[in-house]
Amino acid sequence: MDRNQLAKWFQAPTKMAHKYSLHAVYFCTGCGIIEVPPVITARWDAERFGVIPTATPRHANLFLITGYVSVKTLRAIIRTYEQMPEPKFTVGFGSCPINGGMYWDSYNTIKHLDRYIPVDGWIAGCMPRPEAIFVAVTHLWTLIDKDMADGYKRYRTNYAAYRANQERALGELEWPPLFPMERGR
Amino acid sequence: MARIHWRYGPPLYQPLIDILRLFTQRGVSHGRLFDLGMVLSLAGSLVVVLFLPFGGISPMSGSGGLLVVLYMMLLMPLGIALSGGEAANPNASIGISRKLILAMGYEVPLLLILLAVMTHYGSISIAEIVSAQRRTGASIASVPLVLSGIAYVLIMPAMLGVRPFEVVQAPQEISSGPMAEYGGAYLALATVQHALSAFIAISLFVNLLWGGASNPAVFFLKMLVVFVLVLFVNAAFPRLRVEQAVRYLWRWPSLIAFIGLILVVVVGR
Repeated sequence: MDRNQLAKWFQAPTKMAHKYSLHAVYFCTGCGIIEVPPVITARWDAERFGVIPTATPRHANLFLITGYVSVKTLRAIIRTYEQMPEPKFTVGFGSCPINGGMYWDSYNTIKHLDRYIPVDGWIAGCMPRPEAIFVAVTHLWTLIDKDMADGYKRYRTNYAAYRANQERALGELEWPPLFPMERGR
Repeated sequence: MARIHWRYGPPLYQPLIDILRLFTQRGVSHGRLFDLGMVLSLAGSLVVVLFLPFGGISPMSGSGGLLVVLYMMLLMPLGIALSGGEAANPNASIGISRKLILAMGYEVPLLLILLAVMTHYGSISIAEIVSAQRRTGASIASVPLVLSGIAYVLIMPAMLGVRPFEVVQAPQEISSGPMAEYGGAYLALATVQHALSAFIAISLFVNLLWGGASNPAVFFLKMLVVFVLVLFVNAAFPRLRVEQAVRYLWRWPSLIAFIGLILVVVVGR
């Protein structure tokens, strides 16, 4: 353990625990997932940072969306995100979730992921290297330290707007609202 | 574990960080039985821990002994089964059926081993068995019980639920099995329960077959040695299928344990 951080551990143990135990759902939407196996196995060994892949969203608090998001997978992404226990952090991986990337004029992909679920950070690039995931994780630590990784709070307060965007993309949603709709805009 | 893979790996206290994180997260309950099954399982394992002597410390080992431990050990998979079944997740149901099948697999040799130990020492009290071993030496090194000891070593990975018997959790196949629907504090409790059941399996071995210990430090050291050995097995083996696991458990460990029991009876004459 880094001795400089002992004081932080005593001041805010829960925040530090959330920082160093990022259990991740790697959402395999597109080509970005090819960078993840080297990251989680012996070569780059993400477990050093406390980043471990989990099999179900109920165990996870980091949501990594790797690659383009088609309209069909958006439905699964929203359901997965809503199943994760709070606090939860989302990171978009690659150019495609940011602004569509090379699929910028496709009829079937979502261009801006952060209109549908809140995103705490982006990894730009096509493709980003595995090291970029570690850069993102350390940035996320800083954000958690400063209380700036508040995507799940934004989702709660602006849920009506997010839900309206989701319904515009997907039509009628078959699951009930997660939060009461009258809050927010 | 990571060092066996030649990786750098997480720090040793990573499980503590995980538990702390999980306790502070908001879990979702799936019904009354979901909560109560978890409590039942956790209570069962805590009671068993109280009955097992830990070095010199033995809170409740005067009463009941091995028979009580055997009965209470059934509560652990039962509670998890009730609780995971309430969540109505198909992966959880598959995991529960695998857990019960695996329990059926390792309980046959376990019963034979315990029967051999009880017959040899003529006692059902764990404390008495430990003190008898202090006079005669560890029972895994003595002639009639060496086969029972070997059989216990063979079923140990199955009791701990690690590879090659990781059929219950199997994250790649059935997405963590019974744990699939636990989130937040529920997962923390489930993890604690899993750790307690591992503690019970190892400390039963150390108490009954490796002579126990007179003070907690030595006892802890012995448990650590067994645990590290099991980790080596865990790191080296792939996962078996369910029916392969049961076939293995009912063939070799059961056979060895049965021969061990006959040996104990014959030598005891």
